[in-house]
Amino acid sequence: MDSSLVKKTSKSSLKHGVIDCDFHQTLKSFQDLKPYMPRVWWPRLSEPEATLPITIYKPIPLSRRDAIPGEGLPPGSDPEYAKVDALDRYNISKAILTGSLLTVSAHNNPHYAAAVASAFNDYTLDHWIPKDDRFFASILIATQDPIEAAKEIDRLGSHPRVVQVICTVASREPFGQRRFYPIYEAVVRNNLVLAIHGGGEGDGINPPISAVGTPTTNFERHNILAIHHMSQLNSMVCEGVFETFPTLKVIFVEGGLAWAPHLMWRMDKNFMAMRSEVPWLKKKPSEYIVEHCRFTTQPIEEPSNEELIQMLRMMRAEKTVMFATDYPHWDNDTPTFVLSKLPEDLRRRVAYENAAELYGFSVDERGI
Amino acid sequence: MAKYQAAEVGEIDKGSCKILNIEGRSIGIYFDGEDYHAIRNVCPHEQAELCKGKFTGTTLPSKPHEYILGMEGEILVCPWHGWEFHVKTGKSLVQPDRYRIKIYDVSIEDNKVLVHI
Repeated sequence: MDSSLVKKTSKSSLKHGVIDCDFHQTLKSFQDLKPYMPRVWWPRLSEPEATLPITIYKPIPLSRRDAIPGEGLPPGSDPEYAKVDALDRYNISKAILTGSLLTVSAHNNPHYAAAVASAFNDYTLDHWIPKDDRFFASILIATQDPIEAAKEIDRLGSHPRVVQVICTVASREPFGQRRFYPIYEAVVRNNLVLAIHGGGEGDGINPPISAVGTPTTNFERHNILAIHHMSQLNSMVCEGVFETFPTLKVIFVEGGLAWAPHLMWRMDKNFMAMRSEVPWLKKKPSEYIVEHCRFTTQPIEEPSNEELIQMLRMMRAEKTVMFATDYPHWDNDTPTFVLSKLPEDLRRRVAYENAAELYGFSVDERGI
Repeated sequence: MAKYQAAEVGEIDKGSCKILNIEGRSIGIYFDGEDYHAIRNVCPHEQAELCKGKFTGTTLPSKPHEYILGMEGEILVCPWHGWEFHVKTGKSLVQPDRYRIKIYDVSIEDNKVLVHI
């Protein structure tokens, strides 16, 4: 790699430390899963169509071509390369590995999906976590079968470098429903947080990409992806998930931000009218959101800076927003680009402190 | 303070409300079967005629997915946006410290319902 790139770090990130809440590691090949999977599933690993369902053509490839580590490997598959290409270059203190294959939850076969998730988790712990102290792991779960997902959380939840559970935002049913409780029980039992990440919308067994059917282009799809985040957040609050699990924290990843104030206001307004339907809610919906939910910056909206900062204030970003790159995907954001937009008080909260508080990292571990 | 005759005892059926104008104020006299309540007929939200709403009960605080009906006859629901108010305190159920309707004292004298303003 060009060494001049490595030294090009952002002043703003240097000052505060940066936690990247969405850093995608992936496999070199599906064959990497074999040592961790029952043989019954091996033939599927050679059949791309059988592995993960995909429904819409994406003209821009998911991963950045310039993040290819060489030797024919996919971007994000070589920890040594990714460390230099992302962590060193942008002075990232810690990176939460959010993985790939998240769309296992869209697969028609819940047993295969759970096996893929489990194998991927073992692969991450074996091939990524030992490579750098800055990496922290997520437990990927397949949400089709919440009881199996809870077992996977319990299997790995006490690993010292595991900090969260991750699943896609797309699902057959809203996450507030009780059939998902085994997942939330396992998350809080293991003192983890739950990251709900974009992905799988309209794929496989999931409902359509939009609420009115399937869009024609990826542009049209990409513009409205946050409706899935909105739907899940809305469901979890309305169904009283945060009353049932008062220590549960949920991160909404890769949904952008600006929808959050809209939803908070809409929910608070409607709560005045329809409280009697949800008598288990003891405070305004937005209060549950500020207390229990976090939102990651990428893909950040790009209005004028003044408008962006107004929006961040509206959603209590000093408490609720955490920085994320989405490395090495095509629509990633750099710390320099995002953090330089923010005033000082917001910058340190978004760059480091909100995530450090959520994951239990000490302020002394900024790595700067 | 003055007392104004608002209704005869027996004139207002249980669960019903008589709306009248007293000194330029629109006030609803609601009879819950035991007591009379004099309620300012203006919702603090968008000034709807609150007392034309529904007098009812509501769901009490509960655990998720549990419904307990209670406070029957004690809740006034605005006919516009459905805000719930307690007829005894005038307080909004959701934001009792922010939204409150004026409740006037009532007395019964010589079989007449008197509102104290």
